[in-house]
Amino acid sequence: MTAYPAHSVTDLIGGALLTPATAAALRDRIAPVDPPAKTVLDERQLAVLAAVAARLVPQPDRPTPIDLAARLHRRLADGKGDGWRYADQPADAELVARGLDALAAAGFAGRDGAGQDELLRNVQAGGADWPGISSARWFEEVLAGVVDLYYSHPLAQEEIGYAGMADARGWQDVGFGARAAHEPEPVA
Amino acid sequence: MSLDPVDAVVIGTGAGGAPLLARLAAAGLKVVALEAGRHWTPGDDFATDEVAQSKLFWTDERLSAGGNPINFGKNNSGIGVGGSTLHYTAYTPRPQPTDFRLREQFGVGVDWPLSYDDLAPYYAEIEAFLGVSGPADYPWGPPRPAYPLAPLPLNGAAQLMQRACADLGIRTAPAANAALSGSWWQPGYGWRPACTNRGFCQAGCSTGAKASMDVTYLPFAVAHGAQIRAESYVTELPTDAAGRLTGAVYVKDGVTHYQTAAHVFLCAGAVETPRLLLLNRLANASGQVGKNFMAHTGMQVWGTFDQMIRPYKGIPGGLISEDTNRPADADFAGGYLLQSIGVMPVTYAGEVARGRGLWGDALTAHMREYNHVAGINILGDCLPYAGNELTLSDEIDGRGLPKPLVTFTAGDNEKRLTAHAEKIMRRIWDAAGGHDVWSYDRYAHTIGTARMGTDPAASVVDPDGRAHDVPNLTICDNSVFPSALAANPALTIMALSLRTADRFLARGARGEA
Ligand SMILES: Cc1cc2nc3c(=O)[nH]c(=O)nc-3n(C[C@H](O)[C@H](O)[C@H](O)COP(=O)(O)OP(=O)(O)OC[C@H]3O[C@@H](n4cnc5c(N)ncnc54)[C@H](O)[C@@H]3O)c2cc1C
Ligand code: SF4
Repeated sequence: MTAYPAHSVTDLIGGALLTPATAAALRDRIAPVDPPAKTVLDERQLAVLAAVAARLVPQPDRPTPIDLAARLHRRLADGKGDGWRYADQPADAELVARGLDALAAAGFAGRDGAGQDELLRNVQAGGADWPGISSARWFEEVLAGVVDLYYSHPLAQEEIGYAGMADARGWQDVGFGARAAHEPEPVA
Repeated sequence: MSLDPVDAVVIGTGAGGAPLLARLAAAGLKVVALEAGRHWTPGDDFATDEVAQSKLFWTDERLSAGGNPINFGKNNSGIGVGGSTLHYTAYTPRPQPTDFRLREQFGVGVDWPLSYDDLAPYYAEIEAFLGVSGPADYPWGPPRPAYPLAPLPLNGAAQLMQRACADLGIRTAPAANAALSGSWWQPGYGWRPACTNRGFCQAGCSTGAKASMDVTYLPFAVAHGAQIRAESYVTELPTDAAGRLTGAVYVKDGVTHYQTAAHVFLCAGAVETPRLLLLNRLANASGQVGKNFMAHTGMQVWGTFDQMIRPYKGIPGGLISEDTNRPADADFAGGYLLQSIGVMPVTYAGEVARGRGLWGDALTAHMREYNHVAGINILGDCLPYAGNELTLSDEIDGRGLPKPLVTFTAGDNEKRLTAHAEKIMRRIWDAAGGHDVWSYDRYAHTIGTARMGTDPAASVVDPDGRAHDVPNLTICDNSVFPSALAANPALTIMALSLRTADRFLARGARGEA
């Protein structure tokens, strides 16, 4: 498995290789998010969401995991969606809340990791009979949401060796195998 | 508040609205453009960050239904002065002449009421105005002038595809791209710098190297006296007793304004244009408004390679092949082109999640190989089908208007075309040494909801873009396409835009307007 050195991105922030607009966006991203003024998920739903997010995007090596549940809650509460939704499903916040209730009712929190994964696989396959919503669509929306939040975080971008934020100068050589000094190399 | 009348009001400043705004202004007309989105200052406002740039996407909610529900937002819909060109990848291939003649050639779909030859002079004009980079000798189609700038450098994915295609006997060429391989004097704007290979075109170009409308046709229009009003959302198109439009009603900063105009050009894109027509009960005697919704077949095939690709670098679409425009062994109508693709991490992760359904360790392990990923995609034709359409839903959005509902199901032709393409793309990546090759079935662009034609009973606008039923309404954007064409749409939309303006001006000169 390919791994990259830590700090490859965070070290760039504040340096000359990032434009001010990009540095500002990344600083903003790293900061913890405040809970929304008007919540759309209650404490119990948030706890289940955090447990689901930990299965969808495990972060075993990170002392403080990126708070995906809090970030998704914030996004749902802000009501700024991605411009579309499946016509046969309720609005995003309601869809997410209903699925979390259904998972809570199925005893999600009390299961071990393998048991939770088993339940989630059934949900993903559309096998869970949830009134009024499709479990498969629910799974897709929640997965797409946490994945978007995770891989837009500079620490996750370090994990995959992404250096595209270094935009101030662009890239001299884009050919096959070319590498600039500030592009991270995998560690053994 | 009613504003002083103008000769023409243009709604929307994307690929359809901007060139005609420039043409009308240059002809001395008093023109105003109304644009729902903001006027950005890319150097200050654009971060090289996918999430920060989601501000370029139209996020008023749309409802998607059918067998292949369409993703909107970042998949196909922009907002802002410049429209979707703010985030297009700037691929500017020309369609092939036969793409306009699907009915004649295959007996399906409909033919365009105009031909490639009608548009060819406009293609050349636009390529020369925007500073398109591309090969001097383009291998496919009728002869065309050399592109004004040399091709952009090929990135890792493009080079891999180039080698593998050479081994397989598939011809390739550097693609035509409306991004600059050298600095360029843009009339009305100034110098635009050469592309710095940041690979971020789909989330906005902060340098002006990419020919989005805000650094090309729009400043040219303003230099010729056009006014652009940003953050001006059009809600109503009032008519007089004779059925002529009197102008456009729009909301800016919460205040309603009324811009009176002799002519209205509706260029709001293939979702908002039919939506405005339906909301205002306009131009729909044929019943065709919102019908014939098409989306390009756009399957992507990704592979993981031992070598480093670093897919965030270089113009995303570097290499093209049009050998598949009319494949000899096709069991479908029409054809497609092949393009190499680079990709940003959040976009790729989203596709892996939605398209492949990976999660847990399988997801994070796959994403750790992000730097080794290269892609190819197709851009293929799509036929119109009854039932693939846009209607108004009974849900109301934040602006108090019904949300659009778009129903789309791919037909047999799209499925056969995609299957054909998938085989070829997999062969290419196999030949290049790819492993873990996977396909993401997707549909791109929004097309066809206010079809152009000669028969007023079967189309919404005539070949000049004039609504059959409303004397002073002209439509120009992706909605007027009678068929999808096997080429990325922006260049053809711009060509139609200039042609629409020229036809309008010629009628005015003859006293018919
Ligand atoms: C990620 C991405 C990559 C792409 N890459 C390519 C490519 O490489 N090559 C290519 O050819 N095409 C590409 N496209 C497609 C191309 O951008 C569009 O086809 C083209 O811009 C559509 O032009 P249009 O005039 O129909 O609409 P748009 O360019 O979307 O313009 C419509 C404008 O109208 C405004 N508007 C809508 N409603 C209202 C209203 N009520 N009041 C006021 N204003 C309104 C919108 O805000 C928008 O600015 C890409 C698209 C995306 C999303
Ligand atoms: S790759 Fe070039 S054209 Fe595209 S966004 Fe970067 S600088 Fe602009």
